[in-house]
Amino acid sequence: MKVSKSAKAFKLLVAGAFALSATIVPISGAIANTPNLGAKCTDEGMNTGTTSRSLICVKNDRGELRWARVKLSSSGKSPVSASRSPAGSIEFHHWRGEDKTVFDAIIAKFEAANPGVKVTQVIKDSTSYQATALTTIRSNPKAAVFTTFRGGQFNDFFKANMVTDITNQRFVTNNVIQSALAPATVAGKVYGIPYHSLFNNPLYNADMFAKKGWKVPKNWTQLLAFCKTAKADGIIPFAWPAATRGNAGQILNSFLMNSAPDLATIEQRVIDIESGKADLNSAWFKDMANKYKQMNDAGCFPNNVTGYNDSVAPVDFATGKAAIYPTGSFGISSVTKANPDMKGKIKMFGMITTDDKPLYEGITNNTFILSVNPKSTSRDQQIARAFISYLAQASVAREYAVGTSQHTSIVNVDYSANVDLLNVSDIMGKKLLLAPRFLFLNVAQVRDPMEDALIAIGGGADVNKTLTDTSAKIKQNLGK
Amino acid sequence: MRKSKNMIRRGESKVLLLMALPAFSIYAVLYLYPALSNLLWATRRWDGNPESEPETVGFRNFTYMFSNDDVFIQSLGNNFRFMLLVVIFQTGFSLLFATYLTKNTRTTIFLRTLYFFPTILSSVSVGLIWLALYDPNYGFINASFKALGFESLALNWLGDSRYALYALAVTQVWFHTGQMMVIYVAGLQQIPQELYEAAQVDGASRWQQFKHVTWPMVLPTTAVVVAYTTIQTFRAFDLVYTMTNGGPLNSTEIIVTLIYRNAFFGYQYGYAAAQTVVLVVVVLSITWLQRRTLRLDYGVK
Repeated sequence: MKVSKSAKAFKLLVAGAFALSATIVPISGAIANTPNLGAKCTDEGMNTGTTSRSLICVKNDRGELRWARVKLSSSGKSPVSASRSPAGSIEFHHWRGEDKTVFDAIIAKFEAANPGVKVTQVIKDSTSYQATALTTIRSNPKAAVFTTFRGGQFNDFFKANMVTDITNQRFVTNNVIQSALAPATVAGKVYGIPYHSLFNNPLYNADMFAKKGWKVPKNWTQLLAFCKTAKADGIIPFAWPAATRGNAGQILNSFLMNSAPDLATIEQRVIDIESGKADLNSAWFKDMANKYKQMNDAGCFPNNVTGYNDSVAPVDFATGKAAIYPTGSFGISSVTKANPDMKGKIKMFGMITTDDKPLYEGITNNTFILSVNPKSTSRDQQIARAFISYLAQASVAREYAVGTSQHTSIVNVDYSANVDLLNVSDIMGKKLLLAPRFLFLNVAQVRDPMEDALIAIGGGADVNKTLTDTSAKIKQNLGK
Repeated sequence: MRKSKNMIRRGESKVLLLMALPAFSIYAVLYLYPALSNLLWATRRWDGNPESEPETVGFRNFTYMFSNDDVFIQSLGNNFRFMLLVVIFQTGFSLLFATYLTKNTRTTIFLRTLYFFPTILSSVSVGLIWLALYDPNYGFINASFKALGFESLALNWLGDSRYALYALAVTQVWFHTGQMMVIYVAGLQQIPQELYEAAQVDGASRWQQFKHVTWPMVLPTTAVVVAYTTIQTFRAFDLVYTMTNGGPLNSTEIIVTLIYRNAFFGYQYGYAAAQTVVLVVVVLSITWLQRRTLRLDYGVK
């Protein structure tokens, strides 16, 4: 039977219209739902930005989806514009090679707005950066702007007097979400802007969950039950990259956040382990380690998990072999790079490891702390401050955020141009804890061996033997 | 006359000394001074913070290392096992390949180039390639074992502390066998052909020719190969760092990765300096022992 040309054209038109609507409707549909405080909304997690005035679609106590306020404290002041920079050249040291192109574009605009200024990026991979940045930057006054990791590295820079007090800069008081400044604040003084607002919670394939009719686990029993269901279905429940310590340790945040009745106890326990007052055989730690084992027993992790690294895990998640990628918002870009079809299908949930009422519902972290080098000349420091104030503009932060799939700590940033950032935003409406894993400041002597022990246990090693052996190692390390 | 000759010689030697000065200055600043100051730092405890004063602790770093640091002892043991495996297999394979590829024909030159190829790759690239090969769930190695029906040999190569060090040793051997083979080929090509002809006239078999001609004549080359391989195994930092980062549970930690961790992550610069002193002493002792053994052997023959 011959099909006429006009019928073919009609079919093409219908197919095109369908494809177009399928792409646009999920995004525009949610936004088109007038976001008024308390009004009904349809897509959990959609939000209108990250200021405290933004609205987010979350379930209320009755389980109905309603627009509510994002629980972030903003600066409460009007943002100021970027300061002018004198002519000159400086270096910008950081570890995010994946951000180079976006930063190049931002720097080009900064240079165009400030004639005679040149900013050069100096990038190392994160591990080398952690190891060598202090030495390199201390001996290089041209490294006028640099970044540090929250916790151990920032602490080392502070102890070495290698960060400048920027407390009274107006872009610090007005342009930054004030609660995000905590990791760079010591005794009330601010020594940097943690540019990234990360959410170190598991990502899940919302599309797969919907198709399979799975519910996101909300407590420990549900989590273990989910693992068994997913595994029986031939899906890896948690693509946990246990062979890559850095990202394998992200779930430790979730375990720690509900490991004690209050935050003060969590902090004290960390101090006790770091000072050698307590070891990994403490009841609370053993309880946590046992949960790693329970996850292994319930089939939560892939086969041979201790050899499963972070180049394989995001690909398994991106290609539908795994349901959950337990790292954080920073993992989105590697997933969508592996499979662009995953765009808009990724969501995030707080991993609750207790059946009691949780103390916290999720993890946040503020890192990539931008600081000014005190060893630089006053002119270079001025350029550095101008550059940071430029990065602290909502429009610039938006460009950075959308280009890198990364939330920032800058107020009034509109994330709507990046569907993944929007989709994982519902975590902002929950009670979040600043990633407690980074309370461990002694990385090499305490945190690394401790995380190695938990990885081994997650891989099936004996809990008591592993904790006893590792406790002995840590004790020896602390006595060096 | 004699006086003037001496004067000229003295003058010459001054010029020669002057000419050596730039090279010596560079050596002194970049090697000698750091090496000597490292000895001093090995007797101190310092966290790398310029604001804090280093504390002199005498030989405490050394005594602690050998009496209280299980990870150091484990790393030393790992390093010896790694060295032994690599020295035996790398030397063996490179000599074996070289004996077949000594002659300059089109095929042998092609094969030599092929075997040499891994050497020109960076250690990080080699690490990443083998990381993919060893992947327990998707890697080529386990897939091959499974396809051939040897399911039990499909192991968690790098994720299991029982196998990880051996897996790394295989990679190291693959990485450097071609390089050592080239050194052997050069050594084998120096052996006079008449020796083989004489042996053939005497009715020596191929194995006898190897045992009584090739092996003794190639011993000086073997001494170089073994010493070089040993040093390579002690500084296999990048390969270990890329593939296992010393894990699981320190089972692939070698001294150089431990020094790096102690210095740059643990900020225990004095302790790390003491470990480098031990490293140098160990490598020097092993190399000296090897050279002595091989030279004695050669002398007897």
